[in-house]
Amino acid sequence: MIPPTNSAPPVAVQFPPKELKKECEDILSRYPTRMAACLPILLLAQKHYDNWVSPEVEAGVAEYLGVSDSHIRGLLTFYAMYNAKPAGRHEVWVCRTLTCMLRGAGKLRDTALGCAKAKTTGEVGEDGKFLVKDMECLGLCEVAPAVFVDGEAHVDVTPEKLTELMEACD
Amino acid sequence: MASKRDKDGRYPETKILSKNFGVKDSWTLKVAKKNGAYKNLEKALKMAPADIIEEVKTSRVRGRGGAGFPTGVKWGFVPTESDKPKYLVLNADESEPGTFKDRYLMELDPHLVLEGCLICAYACGLSTIYIYVRGEYPKSQERLWGAIEEARKAGILGKSVMGSDFACEAYVHTGAGAYICGEETGMLESLEGKRGHPRIKPPFPAVEGAFGCPTVINNVETLAHVPCIIENGGQWFADMGIQPDPDNPRAMGSSGTKLMGLSGDIKTPGVWEFEFGITLRELIEQYGEGALDGRKVKAVIPGGLSMPVLTADELDVPMGFDALVKVGSGLGTATAIVMDDSRDMVEVCENIAHFFADESCGQCTPCREGCHWMEKIFARIQGGEGTPADLDLLERLFINIEGRTICALADAAVWPLRSIIRKFRHEFLAKMPGHEDAPASTETAGVGAS
Ligand SMILES: Cc1cc2nc3c(=O)[nH]c(=O)nc-3n(C[C@H](O)[C@H](O)[C@H](O)COP(=O)(O)O)c2cc1C
Ligand code: SF4
Ligand code: FES
Repeated sequence: MIPPTNSAPPVAVQFPPKELKKECEDILSRYPTRMAACLPILLLAQKHYDNWVSPEVEAGVAEYLGVSDSHIRGLLTFYAMYNAKPAGRHEVWVCRTLTCMLRGAGKLRDTALGCAKAKTTGEVGEDGKFLVKDMECLGLCEVAPAVFVDGEAHVDVTPEKLTELMEACD
Repeated sequence: MASKRDKDGRYPETKILSKNFGVKDSWTLKVAKKNGAYKNLEKALKMAPADIIEEVKTSRVRGRGGAGFPTGVKWGFVPTESDKPKYLVLNADESEPGTFKDRYLMELDPHLVLEGCLICAYACGLSTIYIYVRGEYPKSQERLWGAIEEARKAGILGKSVMGSDFACEAYVHTGAGAYICGEETGMLESLEGKRGHPRIKPPFPAVEGAFGCPTVINNVETLAHVPCIIENGGQWFADMGIQPDPDNPRAMGSSGTKLMGLSGDIKTPGVWEFEFGITLRELIEQYGEGALDGRKVKAVIPGGLSMPVLTADELDVPMGFDALVKVGSGLGTATAIVMDDSRDMVEVCENIAHFFADESCGQCTPCREGCHWMEKIFARIQGGEGTPADLDLLERLFINIEGRTICALADAAVWPLRSIIRKFRHEFLAKMPGHEDAPASTETAGVGAS
């Protein structure tokens, strides 16, 4: 995940790209420090650049916010929603925490991995289409088990329903 | 005290926070205003800030985020003589497993949440509100942003709140997936753009919080109670629920109403609002409609994942802060997780230990290493390779983890796990070669969470 130390440092992308400029400035205006904008701006950047934060984007965001590359790297590895490597075209979250486990999340995980043609969670499947992530409680326990597909919540999910949802992704 | 049950023995709901949950378009300003939104803010703006804090103290409302700290007392800690900007950080992280109550408030009544925030901000002299919403709640974020924008346009937020000389701004700050950011100082670090590493206290946030400035941190539900306290007075709120025990200063009572929930092995999961006092059994049987057909309730964690488990014969306890502590558990978030008699408690422990191992921020050795060790030991037992010595090893681990870390995440890991291995010891022994015939009775296993 972390690039080898003997490789050349990444060339920073020009951040923000003009499509994001206004939104970034708006975010910055909410806080007394530039660092405080790190989390929301990284989410924005990830969404803009194919759902992952490459070393080049990392360096660009770091420069823009006046923090070190390693500060950004520290955030990417700490928070579950960031991807520090290519994430496939679609991202599927399967909740694995207690209530969902009681309500059949184990089967959903297997189903998701099967559809994604992936051996394990956290790795993009063979055809580069899906990234399946194990997530902790998504706050939808009264309608468990819960799954997110590309940021959208689905509840009372069965293996059949999940297969349908994933097959509908292009 | 008169019983709150009706003639059929049913414990009634009391809809104060949840009164608008079923109303069409309840989240829009137009509908919210029709139902009285912001009239309590208007009233509060005519009161002296100190009188509002006094009213909240009188109400005895305690924090709904899990720790139960008296809210009025917390507000009183904010230094009035400080020329630094002061902040309100609303804890809308709701990442405690099994917990989904704040989501209802944010999605269905965001103006109530905002009104509570504004009254708090006015009372404590705070100029900016950050609502820290977990990244996994896109709809809550959307509804809160919508409410903020509507309020700003209507002059309820901004340079002159409802025409007064009180100025206040509000923003939603989005988390990115980390349980520990629900811990209040982890949340502050995260708000400042860092990893969510909890801080050593003191200094307490009221004095030195966000960006080094005085900061009030409250849970969503806590502040949603404030408008009705202003409307009806603190005494009205204090008269509801469970009264303090005059002989025990630590039993501060559980005043007012509370959103309570059920999930897991239950016929009707959901969230309801009650005056404190309903028992866990009533909640499960009258509102959850009991276990699934052919099943029996076996174990319940009364609030979230982080509290000691109660067995089927321990459910006649009122859902209240002090009553649950008295039976060796805790109210936590008051959203119970129910497990029935088909469940394998070793598997449950492995699942719980994995959660805490995954979510430990890694600063403290007992938590960072200990949670992983616990997970490995449970996996070993589950794989049929455990021995009774593993249970002793776990007990020693608990002692070396609990109370020895910066924040309470590590304690939160110990509490459910220790109570499960004590109350369901036979299930663990049954997986150990040569010990399968362990007694099935929980009595012989030394019941009791400590
Ligand atoms: C590990 C951990 C996670 C927590 N998660 C939350 C949470 O998701 N939401 C919340 O309101 N409080 C949470 N808390 C409690 C907060 O630290 C804090 O007590 C609370 O926000 C204070 O608000 P209140 O007094 O209104 O309850 C958590 C505490 C710990 C130790
Ligand atoms: S107890 Fe665990 S989560 Fe809390 S600060 Fe220490 S390592 Fe982090
Ligand atoms: S346990 Fe899966 S949504 Fe809560």
